[in-house]
Amino acid sequence: MTSIDTPALPRDASTLPSRPAISPTLVALRQFCRSPSGVAGAAVLLILVLTTVFGPHFYGIDPLDLVDAPFTPPGEDAWLGTDYLGRDILAGLIHGGRATLTVGGVAAIITIAIGVTIGSLSGFFGGVIDTALVKITEFFQILPPLLFAMVLVTLFGQTLTTVTIAIGVVSWPTAARLTRAEFLRLRNLDFVKASRAAGAGNGHLILRVVLPNALPPIIVSATMAIGVAILFEGGLSFLGLGDPNTMSWGLMIGQNRNYVLDGWWTVIFPGAAIFVAVLAISLIGDGINDAINPRLRKRG
Amino acid sequence: MPSVLPPVLSVQNLSVSMRGSNGFVPVLENLSFDVAEGKTMALVGESGCGKSMTALAIMRLLPEDFIVTSGSIMLDGGDVLAATPAQLRGLRGNKMSMIFQEPMTALNPLYTVGDQIGEVLRQHRKLGRRDATEQAINFLRAVQIPAAEKRVHAYPHQLSGGMRQRVMIAMALACRPKLLIADEPTTALDVTVQAQIFDLLSQLQDETETSIVLITHDLGAVAELADDVAVLYAGRCIEKGTSHEVISHARHPYTRGLMACVPHLQLGPATRNTQLELEEIPGMVPPLGARGPDCAFLPRCASAGDVCRTQPQPPLESVEAHAAVSCWRHREIAP
Repeated sequence: MTSIDTPALPRDASTLPSRPAISPTLVALRQFCRSPSGVAGAAVLLILVLTTVFGPHFYGIDPLDLVDAPFTPPGEDAWLGTDYLGRDILAGLIHGGRATLTVGGVAAIITIAIGVTIGSLSGFFGGVIDTALVKITEFFQILPPLLFAMVLVTLFGQTLTTVTIAIGVVSWPTAARLTRAEFLRLRNLDFVKASRAAGAGNGHLILRVVLPNALPPIIVSATMAIGVAILFEGGLSFLGLGDPNTMSWGLMIGQNRNYVLDGWWTVIFPGAAIFVAVLAISLIGDGINDAINPRLRKRG
Repeated sequence: MPSVLPPVLSVQNLSVSMRGSNGFVPVLENLSFDVAEGKTMALVGESGCGKSMTALAIMRLLPEDFIVTSGSIMLDGGDVLAATPAQLRGLRGNKMSMIFQEPMTALNPLYTVGDQIGEVLRQHRKLGRRDATEQAINFLRAVQIPAAEKRVHAYPHQLSGGMRQRVMIAMALACRPKLLIADEPTTALDVTVQAQIFDLLSQLQDETETSIVLITHDLGAVAELADDVAVLYAGRCIEKGTSHEVISHARHPYTRGLMACVPHLQLGPATRNTQLELEEIPGMVPPLGARGPDCAFLPRCASAGDVCRTQPQPPLESVEAHAAVSCWRHREIAP
């Protein structure tokens, strides 16, 4: 048989191209900053968050105080008018934003936590575990989410905590199915097998090997889940199932819904706030999606 | 084969079956071989002959629906088939490790190569993060990756196929395993890089005294690297022996066919009139489930006689001190 002489590789480091190693996360972040809609969404959301966090310190009117005559139109007395009880709409927007955005964020975290746990166990182990968990997921998925959430809130009391948990509990099946699909795709890839062959246990494989590779679509879905949760909170409050003691955008619309024709400002402003927040979150989601999906990635 | 030391790996009568819709289908039948310390055993055969299944069975990484139906696998005196999941995790990557065929996909794209080599050390050697990275640099140097202290922070997509396979080798040898299984380690690489990887493997083997199970269909690699060879056909070992004996004096018609398929470079005026046509073995490996008790190679065999058609496949018969063959007519075919 023939043998081929293999010249020694150059040991001189200076002959090599010295491009610094960039982590995939950093690449995605740079890509995100190139997407105009993503950056715009992030800017709008940042403004909303800053307003609700610091606004109450600058605009010292309590949203539950009756400050003026009912249905005062927007003007000098109240910048955005007052509602059917004479409460300041702008104060309501600023304070209510806290509750609405918190409910959205926390409900999204609950959604993703339940969904990713169930989906990853289901997709990773397969077999009986998968069948059982898929059945449970399907059971939750066929329940009408709004009705189910209404039942939960009615049963456990109309508090902000109950509303948040209820939203999380009804909306996780989508996240679970998405995570399961990613795990099914990834678990048989070579690098997962190689990790197992190097002695990695199931916990390590799920958390450190497969999950990081499954994260991109999960992050997008988590972002979208915040928007959905905000809309959901608005819907529950509109139906009178929100927390009546905590001002939120949904509550403002819900309590003023009978007076739309008497004072449009009572409903339009909180409605616009919800619209802008959800739009901003959707834009961020799109931006992240573009940034981490190599097929959509622009070169440059 | 008598030897002073007990073998590092001893596979005895290993049979693997696949759970199909119509019951169990044999994938691997009665495979036995020993690998001594610092020696290389080559498993040779076409695709679908059960080479990779053997490797996965030893690592206890067989896919679902594939089960070991009989036999034993002893690694360094311990029974691999009886190991608990926790014991297995301690064995894999530590006492036995594996290099995969496809270096492009066998590394996790999200971690630097240093992290991935270090991970093995952190798990089995309980090193800290900093020590592990330092060790990773040493291992990258050992597999002759230039500028190792820079490359340790590189992500897999920044390396070429040959480099990635070197990283895989570094990962596999990081804990100085007793046994290294190389499943077609160079199939995805181009020829000059193949030679470099084989050189590297044999050099590292000299330094570490690791036993290697080399799965390949490259007979050139067998001649260069392997001490012993087992030729598999349709899940059965049909010939085995020292690589010198098998290559220089192949007895089974299948092995002889494989040899004839290797192109040889012929130069000079003497060859001008000879016909330079590469031989081939007609037909293909019988699919799973279509393998009866008679010789699996019978439909493709040019030297088959009546005895082959009427008798089941013979067991491996020792024909010399270091060779065994499973063929009724080997004396007529290769006297």
